[in-house]
Amino acid sequence: MAEKEFEPKILGFFCNWCTYAGADLAGVSRLQYPPNIRVIRIMCSGTVSPHHVLRAFQKGADGVLIGGCHIGDCHYLRGNYMTIKRMRFLQDLLKFIGLEEGRLHLEWISAAEGPKLAETVRNYTEKVKNLGPSPLKRAALAA
Amino acid sequence: MDKLRDKVRNLLAQGKVAGYIGYIMKDGHPLPHFFTKDRLEEVDRAIVAPGDARYPLDKLLQQAAAAAPDAVFAIQVRGCDERGLNELYKWGQLDPEKVVLVGIACPQDQADYCECPGPWTTVIDSGEKCQPVLRSPRVDRIDSLAEADALQEWTTHFQRCVKCYGCRDICPMCFCKECALEHQDLMSTGAVPPDTIFQLVRAVHMAGRCIDCGLCEENCPADIPLRVLYKKGNLLVKALFDYDTGSPEAGPSPWKFLGADSPLATKPM
Ligand code: SF4
Ligand code: SF4
Ligand code: SF4
Ligand code: FES
Repeated sequence: MAEKEFEPKILGFFCNWCTYAGADLAGVSRLQYPPNIRVIRIMCSGTVSPHHVLRAFQKGADGVLIGGCHIGDCHYLRGNYMTIKRMRFLQDLLKFIGLEEGRLHLEWISAAEGPKLAETVRNYTEKVKNLGPSPLKRAALAA
Repeated sequence: MDKLRDKVRNLLAQGKVAGYIGYIMKDGHPLPHFFTKDRLEEVDRAIVAPGDARYPLDKLLQQAAAAAPDAVFAIQVRGCDERGLNELYKWGQLDPEKVVLVGIACPQDQADYCECPGPWTTVIDSGEKCQPVLRSPRVDRIDSLAEADALQEWTTHFQRCVKCYGCRDICPMCFCKECALEHQDLMSTGAVPPDTIFQLVRAVHMAGRCIDCGLCEENCPADIPLRVLYKKGNLLVKALFDYDTGSPEAGPSPWKFLGADSPLATKPM
């Protein structure tokens, strides 16, 4: 019997005003993307704390995708300035402890960018699929 | 030692400080001690703690200052302790006007062991400047590992954690009233070993705040190389935000303001 293909679990944090609206647009435009992503709608990408990301990995996420407004477009003006500070730091810290790069990804996607949303989710799902199950998940299960 | 004792004696006798937080030799043990004018003779036994008997004096100072907010206190500081004070001033935990430094320069073996880039203080009352250690070989070693090997190493370390919270409790920079490590929405509470992310959550909190005193690592009963993790956190904060943790010239912590522009770019997928 062929082994079942690995289907990653990806957690998305999408900001209400841009990326989530972009996902809506992708939806009404009937653009297809894989169902591996579970999206949490947040008011601003700047509300995502590193805790949330780490908690997601602890709970078995294979990848975390954060979507926010482009720099300059944040509806709270500069919330995403903090998003990128936190996430760039966390990406590098995770790399240091040996988690593969890309398990945490940040992308700016506007409300008008439905196609970019669909493409990002498609590519990201593919990427995480190739990475395989998160080793942090394995460590959490072993513990 | 005479120079240090004279300074402390004068500060206390002249009423310039309400107390001196330092170390005393008691029954053959070097112990942290609160010296006052009333027991001036104790200053004869005031010492510089040996490197392996350091305590988080900055933390004791925070307690003393909270109990007597108007009082001025003197405190024995090494380079790391002074960096800690600078950071605590920034975070509004202490008032620089109410602190008098009694400074120690660490010996070379201490600086080598700590991989310390700043093993002395702005005022030196005991010891002489040695060679600072500008790169951390311990961090470099982890950086040179393949991902899977690094992860294996860290998770093996993390699984030994007995969740005693000693790393947090001894840390002079851990002053939060509520701790994320005990927050049941963020962490599996009541389980040992703790979540794999336990040390990572703390590492995030310590970035730009840890002044690399190493007490957490020395205190950890599971011998987890915590200091390496936090050293890296600070190196990243330096690389990303050009912030020197503990330096009085570094300006506000990058986590405390949004910034007038955002020079960072997202990483490609
Ligand atoms: S980190 Fe170590 S060498 Fe540096 S000041 Fe502190 S005790 Fe001295
Ligand atoms: S080395 Fe450890 S105890 Fe010292 S400031 Fe950093 S985290 Fe706290
Ligand atoms: S001191 Fe060590 S064993 Fe105790 S909670 Fe911290 S990491 Fe775990
Ligand atoms: S509102 Fe979208 S990133 Fe702030």
